[in-house]
Amino acid sequence: MVQINLPKNSKVQKGEYYKDTTGSKNIRKVNIYRWDPSSGKNPRIDTYEVDMDNCPSKVLDLLNKIKNEIDSSLAYRRSCSHGVCGSCAMNMDGKNGLACTKPHSEIKGDINIYPLPHLKVEKDLIGDLSTLYKQYHSIEPWLKNSKKDDGKENLQSTEDRAKLDGLYECIMCACCSTACPSYWWNGDKYLGPAVLLQAYRWIIDSRDEERKKRLKKVADELKLYRCHTIMNCTNACPKGLNPAKAIASIKKMLATS
Amino acid sequence: MDNNKPLSPHIQIYSWNISSLISISHRITGVINIFVLTIICFWIASFLLGSSNYEFIQNILNSFFGKFLIIGITWTFSFQILSEVRHLFWDLGYGFEIKTSNISGFIVILGSFIITIIIYILGRQLI
Repeated sequence: MVQINLPKNSKVQKGEYYKDTTGSKNIRKVNIYRWDPSSGKNPRIDTYEVDMDNCPSKVLDLLNKIKNEIDSSLAYRRSCSHGVCGSCAMNMDGKNGLACTKPHSEIKGDINIYPLPHLKVEKDLIGDLSTLYKQYHSIEPWLKNSKKDDGKENLQSTEDRAKLDGLYECIMCACCSTACPSYWWNGDKYLGPAVLLQAYRWIIDSRDEERKKRLKKVADELKLYRCHTIMNCTNACPKGLNPAKAIASIKKMLATS
Repeated sequence: MDNNKPLSPHIQIYSWNISSLISISHRITGVINIFVLTIICFWIASFLLGSSNYEFIQNILNSFFGKFLIIGITWTFSFQILSEVRHLFWDLGYGFEIKTSNISGFIVILGSFIITIIIYILGRQLI
């Protein structure tokens, strides 16, 4: 259901202010969403003054600098720092993206950093993605093929392989799903752009033998047709993929089959 | 314990873009249009009750508020129709690239105002 306001325990309060101690003249304010599960208090926004003269170019570098030099209690996920693993997905300047590929110079004014939208927060910038992973499991993201293993390759034509371009690159960072208003309001039933893009990736694979079953499974008022082409997913995707188009392709296949 | 976990901010912080703005406007104008069509049906049905009703509503529509209402309704219908055409193209599988969808969105907004003005000019017989 549509619920514009945050629940009582999620209302964001004003937090602490960390003044710059380096005496640098090139300072930027960074506002970060904080929540400590052990405190029993509401989430808050802490403000950090960061010396930008000694800070590398990406938002993740900025977070690392804060954690290393200002406040070690800050919690966030990160791993590869090259836009490959999808761990550091978060909301920066009102838009979802990967902190490791987003340059902070692209953000004007104060830098606002929040966890991915409409998730249960575990701590600070870490959201709970277990629902999304369950939904991912529900579409059975593996090859279904009855061919017996005869020691030979399972060949695919160049054209069939090309159909997977723009789909296989998805790293499941959840930037698109958590940018989608439909997924905010119906996240328990609607599969969301990330999972539907993956579903399409297996539907369109020429080596997969269960295309019809897969299509039938996903053809559901709530699972699929809650997509109203708001296009927030495509605008958010840090890998430049197009989940909206993938969902439309599933709809089109269902309408024409 | 799970219920104590706060919900991260969503619509409060997420930035708007032309696509999401048109999507929500499409819904709002759709709801307005349903009400407007119902009212128009009642309006026409009221003609059966005699000329006094006709004149009463005619006076309302000729007031400043009435004109504002009519022009507003013209816009909601123009917007709805253009946006629906955009959706038709999407249903055919075209226009999903960010650049294309931004351009088509801009056309919908601009076009809805242009159509409103054209209908106004034609309706007032200014040309």
